[in-house]
Amino acid sequence: MKTDLTYDEAYSNLEELVIQIEDDSIQLDTLADKVKQANALIEICETKLRKIETDVEKASGSH
Amino acid sequence: MLAKLKLSELVDEIKNAIQGRFEGETFWITTQIIDVKKQAAARRCYLKFIEKENNLITTEIRGVFWSNYYSQLEDFEKFTKQNFADGIEITCNVRVKFHPKYGFSLEVLQIDFAYTLGTLEIERQQTLDRLLKENPTTIRLVDGFYRTFNNCLPLPLVIQRIALITAPNSDGQRDFSQELEKNKHGYAFSMKEFLTPIQGDTAHQLILQQLLLIEQGKQNFDVVAIVRGGGSQTDFKPFDDYELSRCVAAFPLPVIAGIGHDRNTSIVDMMSRQQKTPTKVASLLVDHNFEFENRLLALKDRFFDIVKQLMQKAKNDLKEMTRLVKLSSPDTILNKGFAILLINGKIVTDPKNIHENSQMLAVLKNEIIHSTVTKKTKK
Repeated sequence: MKTDLTYDEAYSNLEELVIQIEDDSIQLDTLADKVKQANALIEICETKLRKIETDVEKASGSH
Repeated sequence: MLAKLKLSELVDEIKNAIQGRFEGETFWITTQIIDVKKQAAARRCYLKFIEKENNLITTEIRGVFWSNYYSQLEDFEKFTKQNFADGIEITCNVRVKFHPKYGFSLEVLQIDFAYTLGTLEIERQQTLDRLLKENPTTIRLVDGFYRTFNNCLPLPLVIQRIALITAPNSDGQRDFSQELEKNKHGYAFSMKEFLTPIQGDTAHQLILQQLLLIEQGKQNFDVVAIVRGGGSQTDFKPFDDYELSRCVAAFPLPVIAGIGHDRNTSIVDMMSRQQKTPTKVASLLVDHNFEFENRLLALKDRFFDIVKQLMQKAKNDLKEMTRLVKLSSPDTILNKGFAILLINGKIVTDPKNIHENSQMLAVLKNEIIHSTVTKKTKK
């Protein structure tokens, strides 16, 4: 999974996953994969919230 | 020969005449002030009162605040948020003094803050009216509130990259940075400072320049914070400036102002998102991110609740299936006293396949009965 997702992308992807598994026709054998995706999305957001990526600092100039 | 007077004798007469006319009286005057020389340590202030006609000074007299009345000047700055400085107009109560060496002066006893506040308010209202009139696409008045392009911009889901406009080494800068750094959730922020004097006659131009600098690199920032510390000496004027206010109203990144004042709201505040203090601007950012994290975690809970339900349902389905299979298994049937009939090693389900004299096995729970069919009848 891409790790440079924006918060908007990550959040809406997670929303999309919820909608998918709320659908009655969900195939159980795809569930494991979706759980993995959801965990990854949450992990990305949680990490980003607490750790500014270095390229952000670089982009905002030197000081 | 005429009687000659000494200078001091004449001046004394003048003094007596003036005292005779003005002694014990005070007067309210409205006047412009210039040459303001504050001596804060000695708690004195010298100045000149002037009146102009066609931009030429037509009347001028020296004025002074002695230490007993110096607090009037300090209160003036505190209440009006305006520096007591050259060029402003005030209304004050004075008494007339004449000194044999220094001549005429007016001693200030009291300043009428309300007059100055009123003048400021009129100026402010004129600026606001002009902003509305000249910027109809970016500034509108809706239900008594100024809705600007800027303060209607949505905030990004998470705010982490901040362009900070503040005065170097100021309380505001310190309060803001500390509040962000020590946030209890451990959120990370990146902050680039755009330092500029935030008070004084040219402050509005300097702040405007910093805004334009930020605009050039706007893709690197989520929001702009303009902060300054509180204190009684704060001059409000830069934040009521037309050009600066107009720029803020149309600025492409959300601007959050923490200009540090409780009584008044500056025009820049109205054009942006107003927080009263630098600390409050910082907590707004932290709370905003906290709200996002909460939403994220709520979504996570919802996701895993559904996963749990799905797993539980699958488990229940499996259990049900097992029960059904077990119900229909031969062992269960035999346990209940039924028998399975076999002819030629095959289970017989259709009585047509059973004939008289057929060799038939009746399989019971523990035993097999070997039999020969003697008769078939209808039920």
